[in-house]
Amino acid sequence: MMTATQLSQQCPELTHDYVVTDRVYDAFRTCSGDINALHVDDGFAHDRGFSGRVMYGNILNAFLSHFAGMLLPTDRVMIHAQDISFHAPFYLGDTLQLQVRCETVSEAVGVVIYKFKFTRDDDGKRRLIARGHIQIGILA
Amino acid sequence: MTRQEILDQLTQIFQDILDVDDLVVTDALKADDVEEWDSLSHIQLIVAIEKHWHIKFNAREIMTWQNVGQMVDTIVQLLAEGN
Repeated sequence: MMTATQLSQQCPELTHDYVVTDRVYDAFRTCSGDINALHVDDGFAHDRGFSGRVMYGNILNAFLSHFAGMLLPTDRVMIHAQDISFHAPFYLGDTLQLQVRCETVSEAVGVVIYKFKFTRDDDGKRRLIARGHIQIGILA
Repeated sequence: MTRQEILDQLTQIFQDILDVDDLVVTDALKADDVEEWDSLSHIQLIVAIEKHWHIKFNAREIMTWQNVGQMVDTIVQLLAEGN
């Protein structure tokens, strides 16, 4: 069994690219049932100053679920809590880079808290899309 | 730091984590006394307390706590040790 300290040592930081594909977008729209015009109508979004349909911010939480469940070096984990703030819109086809860095370890309760951010390459500059924290609990 | 000062700061932490504005933390307080103090909230409390005082609890020790008073005893001890 991996301890919280071992997890933080084996995965002190990590970077992974996620692409907001049609499949991701369609799956989230279906799952959430959110068909607000901002997310489904290019014209509506464009009239309000956006480049096109604004992707659902909570798609990023699905990517975080993938990080926790599939990228960490142990499958004996579960997400306890997370917070996220959205700083810029993202669009269909965007490639978003997730960067995580271990911030807090509590061996007493088997917890590792990672600070994360999603960024997008905008003409050579990394633009902040979202950031927050995700608290990972170690399962017995 | 006096025991009462620790209790006062714990009250702020407990109110924030448990989202109970009128909660007053005393030595006698137990998890059973507060509906919002469940197993996940307990984990959040431990993490918040460790961060607040820059201390590290021992997993075995926290299992022995019967009430907040015993938690405060450990905090006092760790602060005295400079942990």
